[in-house]
Amino acid sequence: MSPRKVPDAVAAGSAPLSAPSATPEPTPERRRRPRIPEAPPVPAPPAHLNDYEPIIGKPQLDELRFLGRGLSGKTVKMVNSTAVGGGVAEILNRLVPLMNELEVHTKWEVITGGDDFFQVTKGFHNALHGAAYDLTKEALDIFMMYNEQNRQRMEFGEDLIVIHDPQPAGLVRSKEASHGRWVWRCHIDLSSPHPGVWDFLRPLVEQYDAAIFSSASFTRQLSIPQYLFYPCIDPLSEKNKELEESYLEKIADDFGIDRSRPVITQVSRFDRLKDPVGVVQAYKLVKKYVDCQLVLAGGGASDDPEGAAVLAEVREAAGDDPDVIILNLPPWCALEVNALQRISTVVVQKSLKEGFGLTVTEALWKSKPVIAGAVGGIPTQVVHKLTGVLVHSVEGCAYQLRYLLTHPEFAQQLGKNGREHVKENFLITTNLKRYLVLFQILLGVTQPRPAA
Amino acid sequence: MAAAAQASVATRRASKPFYFNAESHLTRIGRERATNLTELLQGLKSCPDASIFYHTFQTLREHHYIRGGFSNDFAQWTFAACNEAGLAERLAAADVRDFTSVQEIRDRIVDTIESYLKANPASGARPAFEPFYFCASVTVVTPTPFVANTLPEFTEALRQVSLECIHHHFITARLRPPLTRNDFSVWLEEEMGLVSLAERLNRIDIYTATLNDARQRILQLVQQAMNGAQA
Repeated sequence: MSPRKVPDAVAAGSAPLSAPSATPEPTPERRRRPRIPEAPPVPAPPAHLNDYEPIIGKPQLDELRFLGRGLSGKTVKMVNSTAVGGGVAEILNRLVPLMNELEVHTKWEVITGGDDFFQVTKGFHNALHGAAYDLTKEALDIFMMYNEQNRQRMEFGEDLIVIHDPQPAGLVRSKEASHGRWVWRCHIDLSSPHPGVWDFLRPLVEQYDAAIFSSASFTRQLSIPQYLFYPCIDPLSEKNKELEESYLEKIADDFGIDRSRPVITQVSRFDRLKDPVGVVQAYKLVKKYVDCQLVLAGGGASDDPEGAAVLAEVREAAGDDPDVIILNLPPWCALEVNALQRISTVVVQKSLKEGFGLTVTEALWKSKPVIAGAVGGIPTQVVHKLTGVLVHSVEGCAYQLRYLLTHPEFAQQLGKNGREHVKENFLITTNLKRYLVLFQILLGVTQPRPAA
Repeated sequence: MAAAAQASVATRRASKPFYFNAESHLTRIGRERATNLTELLQGLKSCPDASIFYHTFQTLREHHYIRGGFSNDFAQWTFAACNEAGLAERLAAADVRDFTSVQEIRDRIVDTIESYLKANPASGARPAFEPFYFCASVTVVTPTPFVANTLPEFTEALRQVSLECIHHHFITARLRPPLTRNDFSVWLEEEMGLVSLAERLNRIDIYTATLNDARQRILQLVQQAMNGAQA
């Protein structure tokens, strides 16, 4: 196989993406160097509750306010292990101000720990996802020591304490001395955990009053009530807010995308579990029938050796096809990702293993027809042939791409259904409502009505 | 005469107002799960009523924007995860309007699966592509500011209320006394004396329409009544 001619624009990880190429090579006009922001933009101010009215409607806002009034004067503490980065911090950054706006006084605290603690919790995290792990007494001692330190440092005088994920799970040992109700919010998939790690955590988890999981398939049999809270997106965040057509044009121009032809996009970090090479293979099968472009946009290749290796594999698979546009984006490119999703004709998420798959949620919210692997939380979002299409192979992905690209009315209906599905289930306002209802039930503010 | 009747329908005051409420739901994850049809059957027999309610009535709310498709989770899973289209169609035919209790719905679904497995015994143990997780609905009723004393007030409110409100009054109401009837029809008949209109609302097909379609159809029927059609 001849070496792939890699435009420097996509040779991320080795040089700044916007730096001039040392050895420029001829490329078609649309494949000129992508213009990618080199520095994070100024963060947008957080949205207020009223800002959501055009999206969810006044009745829904009234309902949130009513539920909030039932909790007026109650106090809530959210605890997790990081203030920045990661999905949990992203959600809490939005959720906590909204709760306070409803006068449900909510504090957010972050536990502290040394490198040894976070090394252990990272090991636990992977082990709980089913990875092999050498569980030692030392690791357990480190975990409990830091939990104990944080427990001594923190106060738990609130009416409701919500502990996010396993890292601070041991704080529940303060429950007996507090008057509050304790909830464990588990954001990870516990369907096949490392037995030793789970046996250690389980007695802690079962001290809580309730647990929350992101999918019914992520749960374990527990002695406490378990509730289903889907992960959510914020429709007003940079990644999801409406964009001007002129901005979409600019991004298409910056990235060399020809909007007169269909665009297939997968947004994911360069990770084998996202199967970017499989997406390229599917695109090649489609290309025989439909003149289209493929955009693979993601990150993870600059600071992760495995990501860089996967990026190289993707380039190799793409060959010298100028219609395959590979973008290794820095983490601050939320607006650009938003635009790429909106520019797309079809969005693909051909994961082989997945958590919940919020990139799918984002695409559905933008009314895009989505083709996705039937793994993790994706089937919850993509109801086959109703809100998108589920696939299990490269060939299946290619066939469905051909079908959707040649049946735009069906594709449009899927996109329309998908947006409604997200509006109903996966927006931050729905997440807020779920918390309010759960808090009301736990505090006995309201009695749930029997089903029938 | 007709004009007078028309005016009287439009201006008639109810003997009691209609208070619009909405529902907020939480999903509780149950203990039962099924990896094949035999296990689904076992789960159906042992799960709480709230699970049956969730997988039938709640599906109508959660997928309210889809016309067609399967009307309950049991049918959807049987089709998508077990590839048993014939059984799925029969399960989907269970119309929540025909039942006066969750127990009746449970019995109907159990009977349907038992009959199918009797005729197709090999289907019982065939592994599904993905498990079925029994969940249950926890519901909190929340009031809304909307109150109607007349048909114009009723239509104005109906245009503005959330779909949860319509689901509460038009779908789940059928399991509350008086059984099999929706709250709107009960109010129109008992408090407004509009028997025919009440009956026409009760006949709106909630399986071939979205909740928004149902809203539009109700508005259309009420408007016709105010315009002088038979009420």
